[in-house]
Amino acid sequence: MNNSSNSLRFIGIGAVIAIFGGLSGFASEYMLGIGFTLFMYIALAQSWVILSGMTGYISLGHVVFFGSGAYVFVLMWGLVPVWLGVALSGLVVGIGALIIGYPVLRVRGPYFVILSFGLAELVKNLVLINEARMYMSLRPVFGAPSLAQLYIAMLVLAVAATGLTYWVRRSRFGAGLRSIREDEWAAETIGIPVARLKLIAFALSGIVPAMVGAIFIMRSGIFQPGDAFNPIVSFTIVTMAIIGGSDDAPGPLLGVGFLVILQELLWANWPEIYMIILGILLISFVLFAPSGIYGWLSANISRSKKNAA
Amino acid sequence: MLKRLLTASLVIVGMFGLLGPAHAADPVKIGFSIPKTGLFAPAGPSQLNAYLVWQKMVNDKGGLDIGGKGRRKIEFVQYDDKSDPAQAVKIYEKLITSDKVDLVMAPWGTQHHFAIAPVVERHKFPLIGNTAASVALRKVKPGYLWFTTPMMPDNLAKEMTAMLKSRGVKSVAIMYNLLQFASENIQFLKPALAKAGITVKFEAKYPPDIKDMTGMLTKIKGANPDAVLVHSYPGDSILYMNQAREVGINAKTQYVMVGPAIGFFRGMFKSNLDGIVTMAAWTPGLKNTTGSQEFYNAYKKMFKGHEPDYLDSVEVFVSAQILEQAIAKVGLNREKIRQAVNTMTFDTIYGKIKFDGVQNSITPAGFAQIQKGKIEVVWPKQRATSAVVDKGAWAK
Repeated sequence: MNNSSNSLRFIGIGAVIAIFGGLSGFASEYMLGIGFTLFMYIALAQSWVILSGMTGYISLGHVVFFGSGAYVFVLMWGLVPVWLGVALSGLVVGIGALIIGYPVLRVRGPYFVILSFGLAELVKNLVLINEARMYMSLRPVFGAPSLAQLYIAMLVLAVAATGLTYWVRRSRFGAGLRSIREDEWAAETIGIPVARLKLIAFALSGIVPAMVGAIFIMRSGIFQPGDAFNPIVSFTIVTMAIIGGSDDAPGPLLGVGFLVILQELLWANWPEIYMIILGILLISFVLFAPSGIYGWLSANISRSKKNAA
Repeated sequence: MLKRLLTASLVIVGMFGLLGPAHAADPVKIGFSIPKTGLFAPAGPSQLNAYLVWQKMVNDKGGLDIGGKGRRKIEFVQYDDKSDPAQAVKIYEKLITSDKVDLVMAPWGTQHHFAIAPVVERHKFPLIGNTAASVALRKVKPGYLWFTTPMMPDNLAKEMTAMLKSRGVKSVAIMYNLLQFASENIQFLKPALAKAGITVKFEAKYPPDIKDMTGMLTKIKGANPDAVLVHSYPGDSILYMNQAREVGINAKTQYVMVGPAIGFFRGMFKSNLDGIVTMAAWTPGLKNTTGSQEFYNAYKKMFKGHEPDYLDSVEVFVSAQILEQAIAKVGLNREKIRQAVNTMTFDTIYGKIKFDGVQNSITPAGFAQIQKGKIEVVWPKQRATSAVVDKGAWAK
């Protein structure tokens, strides 16, 4: 790719971001709410791809970062400035991930899938017990910033997470991660520091979700362990990533956009049908388009290019 | 399954109600969210049914009295919030900004009230809460939200201790669910018991999705307390009722917090429910109330002999009565409704209600007991329809 098309692309991306940002000024609250959800899942799915898409360590418990970030944030609520609190929750959870990741990432394959799910449930129950000990099972978050501000904050996180995935995918670090997915033993044999790479990926994939969790509870107005660590969030992330496809940044964008818009069209009128459609889609994608929308698109585009040539 | 079918058919029946004969004036659109799926789905019908009964009662009279200037029928706009507070936030934003409802009514549960508080505040929509109870509610800035519940944990602790003393209870065993309301009760109950000189012989907390409590119950049996106080929700209340019978918990005072006031409990446990004390402050025969028997009869008629939930359905209906009376006084101007709710005294099935800040300042916290298959208010004494009796032996 030459330089001019590259810079054109950056201008295009910049324009899209600017338009989304500008919407916060005049879009209706209902529209901003949809945008907020869209950016939230983009940030979450992109973060998931850094760990699970690239290393093949499928995490079924990514909500653990989201919930922990929310919890750290709510503990600091009212004590530190709001946006500092958001940043600190990302930092604390990132450090926590480095510590907990050390034992957790020794487990591979299906065992890791189960462990990741169990870890989220474990942390949820620890938080639940701790909160009950303080008689605080439900913490209201009064006086949060306006929806327009939260919308912008979530947009920033979505852009950051997408940029991070894009960068990791093209870095030496990302190449190392993908070698783990293809054959971890072989990678280790030729001298790739797999343990260290996995650990960094684990922490990186936790920082943004933690900040997303912090912003999310300002929108929902309360912190409750059962909601903050809701396994449905993990499943939704995985579904979006699978439907989007690929281990690169555009995949999650497509998957999230598709599902969030579908959900918005259906939830108000046919919530039951939404769940059925989701199930059918997931099965169809796994069976017929395992590389997702992005994989399917790029395969077809390259085929048509070949045909044209 | 049967319950779902029932709910589904109720919704359909409700919809047909809306299609009735052409109205003289446009209906008043009132929106709310309901947990039809998710963790709180079992609690949804207690609330939705009470809304539907109120709608039917009002529409049968020709509609809401709009400040003495004619009547308009009620039309509901409702969505499933999947028991998710974030979804409730989205729903209330949609109701207000996209569906353009005239008024909103409360969602289910404390957490959802907290979640939507900023939304109604921002859009200046008055909202009379129901099914929400927590001392943290008092932190809500007075403005557009009020709470009808008398069941505040600190008041409950006071009344519980007084009731136990009146029964000569010297020792208790406490079990509680880790969810907010239950654990908040314990926070106030333990100091109150200590002050009254009542010993806690056994105490245990358990997760919301508990599947077996026989271990705890066996220890309680061994400790042999005068009273067993179970701070539970419907699911774990069912578990307690079954396993306490199996283990043979024979304390003369047994309190099961949420569940026994719901109609199906009496069908499920029959005479074994007799003598169980529960959290409720209403019964159709309660004196000095407005519309209790009418509400009871209308509910039973609409839902084919089923009884209302004496806790949640009642509180929901109370909130509807308050809204109805405020509208009758000042019309549909939301700012005027807000002022009316702040200053008026309302006549409800709980009796007279007035708000002090965000709180119902008149109705006392209280308890009911199932006696011979009927729910009687037994505490506080000045409201009681019957005196507290001992729990008899379990039937096999």
